[in-house]
Amino acid sequence: MSANNTYDAIVVGSGISGGWAAKELTEKGLKVLMLERGRNIEHIKDYVNANKAPWEFEHRGGRTQKMIEDYPVLKRDYTLNEANLDYWVNEKESPYVEDKPFDWFRGYHVGGRSLMWGRQSYRWHESDFEANLKDGIAVDWPIRYADLAPWYSYAEKFAGISGNRDGVPILPDGDFMPAMEMNVVEKDVSARLKSYYKGNRHMIIGRTANITVPHEGRTNCQYRNKCWLGCPFGAYFSTQSSTLPAAMKTGNLTLRPWSIVTKVLYDKDTKKAKGVEVLDAETNKTYEYNAKIIFLNASTINTAWILQNSATDIWPDGLGSSSGQLGHNLMDHHLGVGASGMVEGYEDKYMYGRRANGIYIPRYRNLDGDKRDYIRGFGYQGRADRDRWSRDIPEMNLGGDFKDALAEPGAWHMGIGGFGETLPYHENRVYLDKTKKDKWGLPVPVINAVIKDNEMKMRIDMANDAKEMLEAAGVKQVNTYTSEAVLGKGIHEMGTARMGRDPKTSVLNGWNQVWDAQNVFVTDGAAMTSAACQNPSLTYMAMTARAANYAVEQLKKGNL
Amino acid sequence: MNRRTVIKNLALIIGGATLLPSCFQEHGKASMAFKKINVSADQERFVADVAETIIPKTDTPGAKDLSLHLFVLKMVDDCFSKKDQDAFMAGLDKLSKEAEKRYDKPFGQCSQQQRESLLTELDQKQMAYQKAQNAHGKNLKKELPADDMLAFYGITKGETIFGYTNSKYFMTKQIVYELIPGRYNPNFPVKNLKAGIKHG
Repeated sequence: MSANNTYDAIVVGSGISGGWAAKELTEKGLKVLMLERGRNIEHIKDYVNANKAPWEFEHRGGRTQKMIEDYPVLKRDYTLNEANLDYWVNEKESPYVEDKPFDWFRGYHVGGRSLMWGRQSYRWHESDFEANLKDGIAVDWPIRYADLAPWYSYAEKFAGISGNRDGVPILPDGDFMPAMEMNVVEKDVSARLKSYYKGNRHMIIGRTANITVPHEGRTNCQYRNKCWLGCPFGAYFSTQSSTLPAAMKTGNLTLRPWSIVTKVLYDKDTKKAKGVEVLDAETNKTYEYNAKIIFLNASTINTAWILQNSATDIWPDGLGSSSGQLGHNLMDHHLGVGASGMVEGYEDKYMYGRRANGIYIPRYRNLDGDKRDYIRGFGYQGRADRDRWSRDIPEMNLGGDFKDALAEPGAWHMGIGGFGETLPYHENRVYLDKTKKDKWGLPVPVINAVIKDNEMKMRIDMANDAKEMLEAAGVKQVNTYTSEAVLGKGIHEMGTARMGRDPKTSVLNGWNQVWDAQNVFVTDGAAMTSAACQNPSLTYMAMTARAANYAVEQLKKGNL
Repeated sequence: MNRRTVIKNLALIIGGATLLPSCFQEHGKASMAFKKINVSADQERFVADVAETIIPKTDTPGAKDLSLHLFVLKMVDDCFSKKDQDAFMAGLDKLSKEAEKRYDKPFGQCSQQQRESLLTELDQKQMAYQKAQNAHGKNLKKELPADDMLAFYGITKGETIFGYTNSKYFMTKQIVYELIPGRYNPNFPVKNLKAGIKHG
């Protein structure tokens, strides 16, 4: 083994949590190798569609039959589109098996899904960490809000989260940049909800990882609302705009794209990992890289896949499988339920600029004495908007007047959609397919996960409450919608290597270390013991920074 | 006419020539190559006339000026399923014949009023169909109407409007589209919305 294959730390994956791991470890002086299975995407230079006008897209952003054929999974949602098609995984090269329908939307490139993410950034609440214990569900979280609180601040300050300090008890305030503003309709709806529900329900402006003032050499948001094409201003948090330049600046980072990590290499004598095996995605050659610590940040399902494909001579179900929990307890937020309607008035008002953010209604169910026929709860995201062109007037369907009317603003409308907590069910899981192989001859993951009674009951509330709130706020012609409850659509996969207090019932300890190999850390969504209903990425950032800090401390003490 | 105007007009003519069936073109073929659908010059002209009826030239450009019919055909060629393409082409011919039967001349030679009257009828049929479907509690958006003429007109109208409101002309001359707004004004007066008025 040549010395240049040896590093202090290896980070597997370059998305939100991998980028954070690389930044933290390099800034603490470690020589780090960050491995990314896909191609490189260079900040700004490779955002090829970011500066195109809408009319410059051949199909004006639409989807072609060819795209629909090539992307059988991506086509299931808004995610399939002409503008950022290159940011989504090639499904033919990297298939997976669905025992039950599961929408797995992936980005295999440097930056991962940090390039296309929704950017909504919310802290968890103390009660979210206590919920499993209180309800007797799965296992207790080994950490509490107080353990993460300083790391939330740390992550918020560096990533740049805009938002108000709203003082909503269930949604802890953080270290925010100035918030984006609500439009006139949203302001009124928010005020009416507050008065109707006597201050027990809140509608706030979304807390988003779009910076509103210049920060760390990045330009503030220009209200283009083209984030998912990549931002030439670096105005939203991504690996490329934020953590990668910080890690590069230390001179301690080596980034290796086209590197599929196939195994964590386990040393029986030391009972630790000694490195990883890498399959070069371009040359098909196999390499071994060694390090004192390994951070797995390959995203929930692929992190489980790597562990399940590792150390099978000792544990048949993979490294970290001694508890029988590896790959199990897969969660996502269930969504696709909400309501929308028309808003009368405000005819003389419009908005200018395209705000890449909406409103948020934090959870209120099963709190403060409220008791439903299900446990946990949901939040809503939404927005008020005004149609670009005139509403359909039956007698004016074509012709010169119709043409002119297309340039007039239409009606205001308001919609909200729920994000519900999914419980960690042991039988919701991912495992390796022994027969089906991907382009590189590697076994593909099989996903088997569904929502159950608790979520189904919650969805009834998600629809009815949405209607009730909109109507209470004066919205007219309110219609609810409930789409089929397929997991994965939330793009918040979590739980396949959960944290816990006991090695018999969990994969990771309270510092995100694999019980079975303590120099292996998992700090992506796989680590989550429960799902709460807030968007999880900010929690991954905080958790990663905390674990990296701990790892370096332990390394210095000679414990790893 | 000064030299500059001549050159400008010449450029317009040359530019326009690629969009119009002309004597330089192979006889009977559409002015653009398609991958899936087979479109004749006559059919292309019919689509152009329908699009022009929806978005006619007034004191501002119409569908033909903006080549919206070519956008419609491109979208049908690339973005619609075989089933929808077949319905579109069948509906195109049916509607073309229907117009000739009714007015005794090709659709393109009918008055704007005659053309509008025929298409408005289709709009009404579509609405009635939708109402009936809704009464049955079915989701209409998924399935195209069984009547090919409605399918043709529905696609043509939808894509003509989509093409128009996403055209450079519309987004720069009718409304203001800035690639980089640089600001968010959540309380913007509607009266400032039209192109040519300063925004902010």
